[in-house]
Amino acid sequence: MNKSIIFCGVGGDGIITASNICANALLRANFDVKKSEVHGMSQRGGSVNAFLIYGKKVYSLLPAKASVDYMFASEKLEALRSVDYMNEASIALINDRIVPIVGAKIDQDEINQYLNSFPFEQNIINFNEVAKLHNMQKGVNTIMLGYFSKIIEIDKKHFTRAIADTLNPKLIDINIEAFEIGLNLS
Amino acid sequence: MRKIISGNEALAIGAYRASASFASGYPGTPSSEILEHTKTFEDIKVQWASNEKSAFEQALGASIAGRRSFVTMKHVGLNVAADSLMSASYTGVNAGFVVVVADDPGMHSSQNEQDTRLFAKFAQVPILEPSDAKEAMGFMQYAFALSEEYDTPVIVRSTTRVSHTQEMAYFDMHKLGGYENKLLVKDISKYVLVPKNAIARHKKLLERNAKLQKLSNETPINRIEQGTLNIGIITSGVSYLYAKELLPNANYLKIGLSWPFPIEIAREFVKNLDKVIVIEELEPYIEEQLKAGGIYVEGKKFFPQDGEFNLDIVEEGLAKASFLEKTPKKYFEVPDLPARPPVLCPGCPHRPVFDILHSLRVYVTGDIGCYTLGAAAPLSSIHTTVCMGASISMGYGLAKASLNHKVVSVIGDSTFLHTGLQPLIDAYVNNVAYTVIILDNSITAMTGGQPDATSGFNIKNEPTHKVDLENLVRSIGIERVFKVDQYDYQTTKEIIEQEVNTKELSVIIATRPCVLAPKKIKEIPYLVIADKCIDCKRCLRVGCPAIGYKDNKAYIIEDSCTGCALCAKVCPTNAIVKGDVNE
Repeated sequence: MNKSIIFCGVGGDGIITASNICANALLRANFDVKKSEVHGMSQRGGSVNAFLIYGKKVYSLLPAKASVDYMFASEKLEALRSVDYMNEASIALINDRIVPIVGAKIDQDEINQYLNSFPFEQNIINFNEVAKLHNMQKGVNTIMLGYFSKIIEIDKKHFTRAIADTLNPKLIDINIEAFEIGLNLS
Repeated sequence: MRKIISGNEALAIGAYRASASFASGYPGTPSSEILEHTKTFEDIKVQWASNEKSAFEQALGASIAGRRSFVTMKHVGLNVAADSLMSASYTGVNAGFVVVVADDPGMHSSQNEQDTRLFAKFAQVPILEPSDAKEAMGFMQYAFALSEEYDTPVIVRSTTRVSHTQEMAYFDMHKLGGYENKLLVKDISKYVLVPKNAIARHKKLLERNAKLQKLSNETPINRIEQGTLNIGIITSGVSYLYAKELLPNANYLKIGLSWPFPIEIAREFVKNLDKVIVIEELEPYIEEQLKAGGIYVEGKKFFPQDGEFNLDIVEEGLAKASFLEKTPKKYFEVPDLPARPPVLCPGCPHRPVFDILHSLRVYVTGDIGCYTLGAAAPLSSIHTTVCMGASISMGYGLAKASLNHKVVSVIGDSTFLHTGLQPLIDAYVNNVAYTVIILDNSITAMTGGQPDATSGFNIKNEPTHKVDLENLVRSIGIERVFKVDQYDYQTTKEIIEQEVNTKELSVIIATRPCVLAPKKIKEIPYLVIADKCIDCKRCLRVGCPAIGYKDNKAYIIEDSCTGCALCAKVCPTNAIVKGDVNE
């Protein structure tokens, strides 16, 4: 049975890079992998989604609504925007932060209430705080990926190789370190 | 090798494997990355062109010179190159010549949804429709061979979902071999389309069509896949994948070469089936071809003619056609959330110009690029956006027609050189009095920062000549030409105001480079002194995503602020200051 992941966040957040690393890790773990994303206008701070489907043989480029197994959300509002892809058995990893929207009022409590109203498993962690603690502000997404690798049950070795495959050589060591931080987070 | 590749990367690899040695294009989402990948192959001469027509003809020239060549663009780019396409269909080619066009169903970043298959039929050139990255690579190779064998340009039509999907593929990076460059040909009767020659070429074209029609029914990329259910689906592109996921056991006619249409295979296909439907994105192209051939199967009755398909839409359509029963699903409802639209980046040099135009209450004709975002609230200062170059020509029309409104046209450097220069010449020779602002950030920013003729470097990042816009505009004969630095807000405002109120044609060149490309610019961030903030919200009106608002005060998000200081300049109480001053 194929599985699917939705990555959601704000344009410029590194969602595409995170999904690239994850796709590469799944390839390393011997799955057929298809990944799809929306470019263009989304590069200017708009909502960004990337979808990943993996399994023995994948046809569709996109998952159906209410069918996604995992969510990787770098922001709470964007997580909420994509809940129609989730079902009761889905598991979400959500960075506990809200990025303001120009010209919009956002009620933080309301956002939290909404999220709480959904029955699927949610791991809401403030990864920016974690990153700050380790002085690794630029590695937020990779720390998240470390934690996420436990949720999707993909071995660390596939991810570290994927990081080496995907990122600029100068950034590999620091990101592997960031990945470990996430992995060891309880 | 085994690797995850995108559709656009696959198209580049396919071209390389087919021994292409020349490529040109104009950036446009979702096609831009094709040339970005192509530039990594040293055997291919590659460059960006000023517009799609120029790019198309460059590649056609290279083909006539005996080199396999291709051109890339998005669907609306083919409109610009349509003149060339219609005639290149007559001249034919020498070495293989492929036109790669990426459609954008769903308009993720486009002004309309066009179906390039209709252009193929119109121009009478073959069109290939890959479903995914793997096919894109193979189809690209096939396209070069077809082009040469049938002496025709060949269109490869991608869509956003094919171009931007990444998937695992096995392939080798060697050229296919067996191909050698051809000699330059001098054949006036073929390549000079004066009526006498064109009349003869039209007949050749019709003969070619007959051969291509035969090929379409024989090529393995138009194939029947036998299933165990007694139902049939005729489909192409990404629709095939969605259908296959939902109904793996149906019979399929999977169409890869869709013009000329493989009508004989279709006849064969429908013969023994109880029910057949067509699934295709955008226009009912396949459906019409079938009906014209006397095969009455439905398609658009079940599937929408607008927007991008996905599993849910295809499932819905299959259910309507009674091909399957929809699996009942429980959807979580998305609450009513504020939209997160794209916005101009923090520090974007377009922002001060739009803030000024907003305050002057002029009518602004806009164009295609990042600056189109100046139409969004709170800047709300662009009133038309139609297509590349239209800002200046529409501004011309508005200025001539309306005596009561002050008109300003805004256009980027890349767009100006694409199709803005010609209407500016028209405005000059016809004495139209209005103001054109060229937002020269020296890059094609919207599509990811590709260099243009003002950048001073090329696609391979090598230094090259650059066009001086001021000299160019002055050379037309226009005298009122001004250069401003938008970060000098006050002076920029004075000059724009002065020119808007002068009854002559004037051009203002705003010279600040893009904050993102070629390198990211970030200065010391600013901060709000809360005691001085009087909650007037003036700084919020510039629409900067680095400015937040909490407890009746503005605040600045330090990580996002680039230090452009626009907010500080518009703040009436000097409450916004450079971050390091107070620390």
